[in-house]
Amino acid sequence: MLPEEHHASLPVPIFPRQTLVSLLVFAAGWEALAHLAPLLGIPPFAVPGFITIAKRLVAVTPFDVIVTLARVVGALIVSFVLGVLLAIAMYRSDALEQYLRPMIRILMAVPVVSWILFAVLWFPGVEFRIGFVLVAVCGPVFLIDALDAMRGVPRELRQMMRSFRPTPRQFFLKLMLPAIVPSLFTSWKVNISLAIRVVTIAELVGAVTGIGHQLSVAQELFSVADVFAWTMVLVVLLFLLEALVARVESRMLRWRG
Amino acid sequence: MSGPPPIAVRGLRKVFRQANSGQSVIAIDRLDLTIAPREVVSIVGQTGCGKSTFFDIMIGLDAPTEGSIRFGDKSPYADFDHFRGRIATVFQQDRLLPWRSALDNAKLPLELIGLPDAEQHERALAWLRRLGLGQFTSAFPHELSGGMRQRVAIARAFAMEPDILLADEAFGHLDEVTAVELRDTFLKLARERGSTAVLITHQLEEAIAVGDRVIVFGKPARVLADIRVAQWPAAQHGILREAIQATLQSNRPDPRLG
Repeated sequence: MLPEEHHASLPVPIFPRQTLVSLLVFAAGWEALAHLAPLLGIPPFAVPGFITIAKRLVAVTPFDVIVTLARVVGALIVSFVLGVLLAIAMYRSDALEQYLRPMIRILMAVPVVSWILFAVLWFPGVEFRIGFVLVAVCGPVFLIDALDAMRGVPRELRQMMRSFRPTPRQFFLKLMLPAIVPSLFTSWKVNISLAIRVVTIAELVGAVTGIGHQLSVAQELFSVADVFAWTMVLVVLLFLLEALVARVESRMLRWRG
Repeated sequence: MSGPPPIAVRGLRKVFRQANSGQSVIAIDRLDLTIAPREVVSIVGQTGCGKSTFFDIMIGLDAPTEGSIRFGDKSPYADFDHFRGRIATVFQQDRLLPWRSALDNAKLPLELIGLPDAEQHERALAWLRRLGLGQFTSAFPHELSGGMRQRVAIARAFAMEPDILLADEAFGHLDEVTAVELRDTFLKLARERGSTAVLITHQLEEAIAVGDRVIVFGKPARVLADIRVAQWPAAQHGILREAIQATLQSNRPDPRLG
């Protein structure tokens, strides 16, 4: 067996040793800093110890986590459906693509903060504002990725498929959509991370529920422990969503070997 | 339609305009050709002589610039949908869909023509077994060898039970042993099925071994020679090969071909 093969055949641990070591070093450094803070002239609330953070973690309200999760998942599903449908329309109509693509590129360049301000100025409902911001940010990613993936379907496969004379609907369902699935999974992974970060900012403005709102409250109370706890919840949420997508991906793309 | 229709090509021309230079390139130049039902014809020509362009026009994916190609009284391009389930193709590369198992790849054209699920399954499975892939029906393309993948592509074509079989360099990229074996299987099945078969190749041995007729294309594509292989005894196949070779090199018919 070649060294590479041997390496490849080893089971990959969930938490590699290096990850654990770096986390432990960080945790030890933080805890030490928390204890040394008064001696260093740092206010104690600025660097809370892990016991304090753990207490705040226990106090995390599941309702806010569920609300944020629902906003993220809901907006991602809407973005995905709209993005893919528009990508199909643009793939089928060169004229539509020529008109829409520059516009979408411009929309993708708009900063998240600007979207939030537009949403606040345009829409009265908090939920709609948050949804609007998330769809405005994530939708174009799905759209452009899906469109590029459709354009990238090999000519040989398209020619083979057309030689069997499918209907346009069959052509899309049997060739184009399955062919772009790997790219769609990549878009999902990119957008989950994007959505988690954007929803937090969007919830900071006007929302009275959700993790972003709780972060805002923590900031008003100067509670670094709460900020730390809610941030940990966000990070775990992101990892869980990514793991879920990775699991579905490995099942659906098992044909890649 | 009862049985395969005759194929008639009349004054076929295909001219491409090059995107960069704007110059016109003639790929097919006034091609005339008739293929009888159930005939097995090999078309041989140099690389870049317009064989694949002719293949695309025969499939109906491209339109001629001038002239016509008719399968019976229908055009494969203008009457595209009429030939659904009637024309099957085998390409140089297997062109299997990587996300489908061997069985699902073989079922693909049957799904497109809307056969009941049970019949799709039964027919695709029967053809895969016939091609020696009974143990590999659930394998994905990346799990199969090149020869096995090409077998799946052949099963996919035959599962349609088509009137017309078109193969473009279908065995050219395989090793000699596999190519000969698959070519023989393809021919046997085509004759059993009673399909008209047109095989495009650049390999003289293959063209002579396969066809009832060998049609030699010039560059650009036009008929330089139309040879009935049966008129050449096996002992003279060496001379036939040399004459075709000379025709291809000079781009004009060799006198030995008559």
